[in-house]
This record gives sequence, structure tokens and C-alpha cells, in this order.
Amino acid sequence: MRSVPDGAAGLLARDAIRLDAWAGGRDHAIRICGQVLVDTGAVAPAYIDAMLERERSISTYLGEGVAIPHGTSGGRDLIHRDALAVVRFPDGADWDGNPVTVCIAIAARGDGHMEILAELAQVLMDPDRARALREATEDEQVLALLTPDTETREEEEDSV
Amino acid sequence: MAERNVVIAAAQGLHARPAQLFVQAAARQPVPVSIRVGDGAPVPANSILGVLSLGARQGTEVTLAAEGDAAGPALDELAGLLARDLDAEQPA
Repeated sequence: MRSVPDGAAGLLARDAIRLDAWAGGRDHAIRICGQVLVDTGAVAPAYIDAMLERERSISTYLGEGVAIPHGTSGGRDLIHRDALAVVRFPDGADWDGNPVTVCIAIAARGDGHMEILAELAQVLMDPDRARALREATEDEQVLALLTPDTETREEEEDSV
Repeated sequence: MAERNVVIAAAQGLHARPAQLFVQAAARQPVPVSIRVGDGAPVPANSILGVLSLGARQGTEVTLAAEGDAAGPALDELAGLLARDLDAEQPA
């Protein structure tokens, strides 16, 4: 597996982190996330529609209170540069019955998408890190949590 | 411990709908099934996070493993799923 040079955290601009947002539901949350990607210059506004379309065909809810909204493959031309946005909804947003506290919105052309997903999944498989992400109140905490922690994986291998 | 090696057929790799269908099928099996890539740590096949964490693309070989009398049929069914490009078969 090729790796993203700077990891997921390298794609996350500081101004693409919003830790105190509120959304009335899934689609509202996706629009907020998409707008952050638009405002930070990562995508064209129409990418938000591609995100909504993608969510209607298959849920991007990952578990652990985290969803990873992103566009359809048809929306890739609307991406100016690969980027992430992290938007936290402290009151939770209803995601087809699941409460979502953190959205990690993804804009990635080509295969970058799979690598970012794999990395985020590795972070969230650690319940302590997932909880820390849901409860994060500082940008620094989010950036640190999205940086892969190799020590954790070594411990897991030892216990197998 | 029974094992099956299978090459991912889905054009988009093991994520999105192929991953969801696989995880759902794994959850229906009477025995716990694990999935790994190469010598990597195995993850539960019924966990979407675990399956996504593998980052398995089209052409990646994965290993499914399970124990017990029901392991054989369970592994055959799941390996069969991964060996097909479900998205190419089902119009969206």
C-alpha cells in the first residue's frame, strides 16, 4: 500500500477544522462540511451536491459517532486539491438513526481516497482515540489524533 | 484454523458498497471470520472500520480465516463475494 506523504493530518488545514458546529440532520451536516471545503479553496461549490448524492446511494457513517462524507466519483473534477475538513457537532447530528459527533469530509482525486480512509479507520478502531476525537475542543488535539500512531499497532500485534 | 486467499475483484477496492456488503455477509456467518492482508494483523470481517483499515484495492490478495465446523462454508461464501465485482453486476 502506498502511503500519503504527510498522512491524513497533512491534508487537514487548520482553517478546515470547526469544533463547534450545529446541524439539524444528516444533509444539513453534509452541507456545512462541504461549505468548509469550498471556503478553504479545496473544491468547487457543486462538490457539495456530489457529497449529498453519494450519501443517498450509500451511507458514509463509519461507527464510533463518526461519518466521512465525500463526493461521488463523478464529482472528482470538482476537486481543486486533495483535502480534509473536520467538523464537530457537540450536540450530535442524526445520521439515519445514528448520532454523529464528528464529520471528516474528504475531497480526494484518484486513489488518495482509499489511503485516507484506511488511515482514518485505523485511528477510529482505537476506542480511546475515537472518544478523544469526539470530545476534542482544540485544533491541536484533532491534528494529533489524525496522525497515525505506530506504537498502538505494535501493541495490538503483541496481544495476538 | 481454515483459511482462504482471495484477490479483491471490485474495481473501487474493498470500500464503499463492496465493503458494506462484505461486512453484512460476514456478520451473518455462524462463526467469527477475520480478514488480513499479507502478514498484517487480522481484523474482524464484520467490522466496517476493520475492513476499511486494510486499504485493500482491486488486485490486493487478502486472507480470510475462521475456526470450527462451520468455517469452511462461511469462508467459501465470503471469498466468493470478494472474488466478484458486485458493483459491475448490480446497476446503481
